[in-house]
Amino acid sequence: MAEQRKRPAQAKSSAKASTPPKTSRKPKAESAPPLWITAPRSMQRAYHVISLLIALFAIALVYLAYTLITESRYYVAKAGKTTYGYVYDRKGDVLFDGTQPLDSYPAGQFADIGSLIGDTSGQMTNTLVSTHLDDLANYSFLYGNNGNPAEIRTTLSHAANRKVFDALGQKRGSVIAYNWKTGELLVCVSKPCVDIAEGYANLAQMPSGSLLCKPFYPIVPGSTQKVSTVLAAYEAIGVGTVNATEYACSGSWLNAKGQKINCHEKSGHGRQTLAEAFENSCNPYFAQLVQSDALPLSRIVETFTRMGYSVNGEAAAAYDLDGIRIAPASLTLKDADDFDTQWSCLGQGDTLISPYQLMLWQGAIANGSGKAVLPYLVSETVDSQGNVTEANGVQYTQQMFTAEAAQAVQKVMYDNAEAHYYVSLSDFTCGVKSGTAQVTDNGKAYENSLLVGFCLDAQTPIAFCIVIEERVSGELSTAQLAKVLLNTLAEM
Amino acid sequence: MKESGKALAHPLLMVLVLAAHAAMLLVILPMGNFAEWVKLACAVLTMDFIGSIVLQLVQRQACTVDTVLLLVLGMSTIYQSCFGGLEFAWKHYLFGLIAFLACQVSYLVVRNPYRAERLKPLWYTLFGILLLSILLLTGSRGIWIDLGFITIQPSEFVKPIFVLICASSMQTQLKKSSVLGIHFVPDNLGLILCTVLIAAVQWWCRDLGSLPTFAAVALVGLYLRFFYLREKFSMRLVVFLGICGIAACIAAWKLAPAYVQERLHSDIWSDMTGSGYQQVKGLVAIAEGGWFGKGAGAGSLHSVAASNTDLIFASICEEWGLFSAVMAVILVLFMPAAGLTVPPRSYYHAGLTVGVAAVFIVQMTLNIFGSCNLIPFTGVTVPFLSQGGSSMLSCGILAGFLKAAQAPQFTIPVKKGGKPNGGAA
Repeated sequence: MAEQRKRPAQAKSSAKASTPPKTSRKPKAESAPPLWITAPRSMQRAYHVISLLIALFAIALVYLAYTLITESRYYVAKAGKTTYGYVYDRKGDVLFDGTQPLDSYPAGQFADIGSLIGDTSGQMTNTLVSTHLDDLANYSFLYGNNGNPAEIRTTLSHAANRKVFDALGQKRGSVIAYNWKTGELLVCVSKPCVDIAEGYANLAQMPSGSLLCKPFYPIVPGSTQKVSTVLAAYEAIGVGTVNATEYACSGSWLNAKGQKINCHEKSGHGRQTLAEAFENSCNPYFAQLVQSDALPLSRIVETFTRMGYSVNGEAAAAYDLDGIRIAPASLTLKDADDFDTQWSCLGQGDTLISPYQLMLWQGAIANGSGKAVLPYLVSETVDSQGNVTEANGVQYTQQMFTAEAAQAVQKVMYDNAEAHYYVSLSDFTCGVKSGTAQVTDNGKAYENSLLVGFCLDAQTPIAFCIVIEERVSGELSTAQLAKVLLNTLAEM
Repeated sequence: MKESGKALAHPLLMVLVLAAHAAMLLVILPMGNFAEWVKLACAVLTMDFIGSIVLQLVQRQACTVDTVLLLVLGMSTIYQSCFGGLEFAWKHYLFGLIAFLACQVSYLVVRNPYRAERLKPLWYTLFGILLLSILLLTGSRGIWIDLGFITIQPSEFVKPIFVLICASSMQTQLKKSSVLGIHFVPDNLGLILCTVLIAAVQWWCRDLGSLPTFAAVALVGLYLRFFYLREKFSMRLVVFLGICGIAACIAAWKLAPAYVQERLHSDIWSDMTGSGYQQVKGLVAIAEGGWFGKGAGAGSLHSVAASNTDLIFASICEEWGLFSAVMAVILVLFMPAAGLTVPPRSYYHAGLTVGVAAVFIVQMTLNIFGSCNLIPFTGVTVPFLSQGGSSMLSCGILAGFLKAAQAPQFTIPVKKGGKPNGGAA
């Protein structure tokens, strides 16, 4: 018999006595059991294999169709086979227009946000537009390229950005500020900056750094790094003990290896508490703190790692601001008695931190919790069919340092602002720390002036980082720029 | 012959095929180039009529596979004629006709499982000849034999032969031999040997794209053989085979040539003009086609190499839309799926059906998902939709196997001595 319905023990005898079948299938009865039950065992296996193959293929085909439909905007955008829509600021001001040539806008229209927002030219790859080409594509799988212009609505204030940009005048630098309660990025200025409305015809003549949004790239932090060192000390030793610890400064200090740490105050600051040393930005004090037995280097490394530093070359996660990549901070901490390690804790040497990250830490200090609200730039995106496809909200970082340390540093910074920035920032309840970074670029040595801080006022819950490059005495100060920034945002 | 109770009436099916082709022809009528349209329309509708007549003469019982085959061949001819502008794809049409005839011939050869099994030495011989032709006639580790007027891909013809080798009757499985106290079924040993040989030859000629197809056929063939008579699964055997399979996959992954490694790890979007060129073009074409396509002849993918073979899914998507392309794929899937509504009635035909299902489904998987960047991109074809003579003919033969499983003949061949040479099939 061709049809085998017998058990294996019977198979041999069945095989010997086989005869050609006249008809091999039962007529289908109303109550006939399914094929996979009535068919002989060997047939059942074939049935199951075919079913399995077809089912797997069908499932994969459904997945493929879903993938193609959902990813198609990415495909056309990546290949430049579509038109693009708009990027708006928080009040509907156009920051990018993909529906028409950008040179139809007045010259300078996008000069303050060019390197942050970017364009579709491919000249800049770490910008909002270049990382959201698919969200900006006026394309849908159903209607192709015939949809309405897509939109990306950002949290930026173009007006505030413009004021800060203009306030910088001829100086190079960067300013970044966000609402530490909501996470909205409000200002992100980088100067010099390409004007995307003018294009790239004079690319060779553009100043160096015009295509980079500087707040996202690490720089030497100078004494603003002392904020991190204080946080590590508070965590390791305790707030009360550290605040009571005094060290002497005579203008310079020799460490355990006989290496000299100089203070900017050549006559020295004498014996100081931490709060005084913080206000004085006294290098010998902090070098002695780092070298002290009470503060093991491993505890500093632990705190810094939690804060997102890449310590001694260990991998650290980069930050992601709605697709824009921000490199993590980095420094080397090998020997607490050594100059290089002490120098790193003072914000010099090979210590590098992006203004974005400096601002983020200020957010965690301002809210007093030790974990910051993550900044975001895109409030929502609207596709060509009018569907809102993304909406950001409040998201926190991991616990970077303890709440006790955050609150203690908040007080130290507040006292610093009260003592030294009363004139500039008298209208606001602020905490700040300044820094001066010694930089050598192509053999040219100069100093950058930095200011990190926060504002605790209910109307302006702002954390910020300001950098003015090659600043010399008598020019625009970071405090003056901070005043412009906070005043502008207060009026917003 | 008695009509199958589950199959739709043959005339009704043919009317549906004609209606589908006529509808497609009407859709492309506004493309212009009326002379080419007339040629195409005449060719497709003639194939439908001739096919219908042939089926009436040869076999009406298993009309599901035949009618689906006619439907797919006509559709693919229309697709292939429209890419980049209307021009009758006569080569594709001709190979389609040959495939249809090959389907009928292979059906006649294997419809009787006793006779097909008796021809097994012939299949082994053909298998050996084809492997030798790959080794000796394809040039420097290539896969094509160039005859001047035509090129042949012998590995395509290995597929139906390999499926025939994988299929086995119960009688064959009951014949056991013993060497040094080890009992084995000689036919199973032959299958394993053939699997190793084809894998080695495919590796040698760098046609690794076909390896998964052969592996799948061998796997399902061995599965049906090793477990068919047992009350319970042998867990030791399952574990052993599983370990062997995993080891083979790891070895293949590690030892794969550089160009394969590149495909396994490449990001097409970071190399859009290099190694990712074809896939990027294909994906963009699919996106531009949307649900219902840009319109026949309005696509641009035809200018990309292998657009009507390796990128056939994307090409259909671009001009006819994702909906149409998925429907075409599902139609091809109907052929092996026929084995679910009218199950094979012999162990031998069950093996054939499963083998053909493995070939069709694995090839479609490799082509479609590879071109869409979900798995590494290989150069295999979609049965009956992609252009290619060897592939078309091979798939036609395989379709004949499916048809044989639907309408088998169980007459036991009689030897000259008068004793039946048969048993459980």
